Amino acid sequence: MPKSTVIAICGKGGSGKTCVSALLTRILIEDGKKKLLAIDADPSAGLASALGIRVNKTVDDIRNRIIKNIKDENDKKELIAQLDYEVFNAIAEQGNLAFLAIGRPEKQGCFCKVNNFLKDIIKEIAGRFDYVIIDGEAGIEQVNRRVMENVTNLLLITDTSARGRSVAETIANVAKRAIKHKKLGLLINKARNSREADSFRSMTKLPVIGWVPDDDIIRRFDQEGRTAFDIPSCAALKALRKMKKYF
Amino acid sequence: MAQLFDEIIRELRSYIKKNLSKGIGRETRYSGDSSWPASGSRDIVLRSDLGIELGSPAGESVSFLMWTGDSSLVSDGIITILGPDINECSSKNVPFGRVVLVKGSGFNAENIYDRYREMDHLRYDVSLKGYMMRAVSQYMREWSRVSKEAISKGFSLLTLGGVLIDKYRKLNYIDAVEILFVTSSKKEVRELRGMGERVMQYINAMRKMKEEISIDCDNCEYQAVCGEVDVLKKMRNSIKKIEKCRNPQ
Repeated sequence: MPKSTVIAICGKGGSGKTCVSALLTRILIEDGKKKLLAIDADPSAGLASALGIRVNKTVDDIRNRIIKNIKDENDKKELIAQLDYEVFNAIAEQGNLAFLAIGRPEKQGCFCKVNNFLKDIIKEIAGRFDYVIIDGEAGIEQVNRRVMENVTNLLLITDTSARGRSVAETIANVAKRAIKHKKLGLLINKARNSREADSFRSMTKLPVIGWVPDDDIIRRFDQEGRTAFDIPSCAALKALRKMKKYF
Repeated sequence: MAQLFDEIIRELRSYIKKNLSKGIGRETRYSGDSSWPASGSRDIVLRSDLGIELGSPAGESVSFLMWTGDSSLVSDGIITILGPDINECSSKNVPFGRVVLVKGSGFNAENIYDRYREMDHLRYDVSLKGYMMRAVSQYMREWSRVSKEAISKGFSLLTLGGVLIDKYRKLNYIDAVEILFVTSSKKEVRELRGMGERVMQYINAMRKMKEEISIDCDNCEYQAVCGEVDVLKKMRNSIKKIEKCRNPQ
């Protein structure tokens, strides 16, 4: 069983989390030797299309269907087996890439038993991959906690705005208490040039692992709905490749 | 209590005989030396490592278990494979059927459902390297994947059957175990499903009796099944007696 590197990608809405998640996924599996599980924990579910994956079922769909039919007396082992079957069936696979969409996060009043089993199952599955990339919502509180418990790398994404920096710093503070990550790094995304990136770097105490330029090729491919695997060599991809060693 | 499925087991025996006479399968006596490296926790086989997929959710699959007290209905240690074994399959995705037949003793109204659960759950404790299994008893579905590497090292349905037989034999109320695998075609698996559905009707009736606090037979969907089958009648009467003791009014 490989020791998983679990990368949670968080940051302000619009900072480019999904794009970075998709490009990083491409970079980490392109040698064909490593297995990666991409988890889309953002309800807007953009990672699937950024990776060219069709989602048939989300974890939320499974949860809702099971909760509808569940009884208090249901046999625990059977319930876990059913959830396990359904979750594995919800995983989309493309070569050495597997993909799981969480859908809407659990709401208050949801069936705790089902949610807890689901978290354990996802955690067990995640543990079988070399890499796990979690494209999260803006905050980490909503992200699947059991998976987040195993996060090794917390990657915070920000654009060059003050709000992006503030969200990243808030997440870093929450993460200190909430999860036992080994590494935390800030990626400055969509910077116009190195001067802007350096200026931003001087305004934060967070460890910056690098910066990715605002790239017309990425923007065009995004507009056209093309996937991360279609993107030709470009400045943004090169910048991200340099950060591979961080993972 | 153990004769619940005898009629269906006889039907299954005819099904096996009919298909063996067509020349699409063979019986092997388990030699008792099935060993395969364990995977620690349950293994996961991804499509990139996939050697063969049996009974995928998009395809046909059926899996169930029956028990009897009649030793003439179970050939201990026999593994029957109708269709190709894993290494003989030309396709990477094949329909799959699996039936476990058990000869047991000491089954009664109080223990019958718990024993069923114990026997059924055994398959979830099988963790073999390069073998992944996901199953839902309620739907009688069993989906497995075997990795290319496991196949190249000789993993087969005989290996799996042997491991399962060893597990069942560890239960002290089991005297004999026989296993049937079907990989020949969707048609044969569907034929098996017909028998499985009747088995599940009995199991579901038992589950309902076991799980529901109060039994309202007049409004129960399994009323007809319980009325017909002696074992279920006894189980129902036993539960009703307990219920009466708890609520004498």
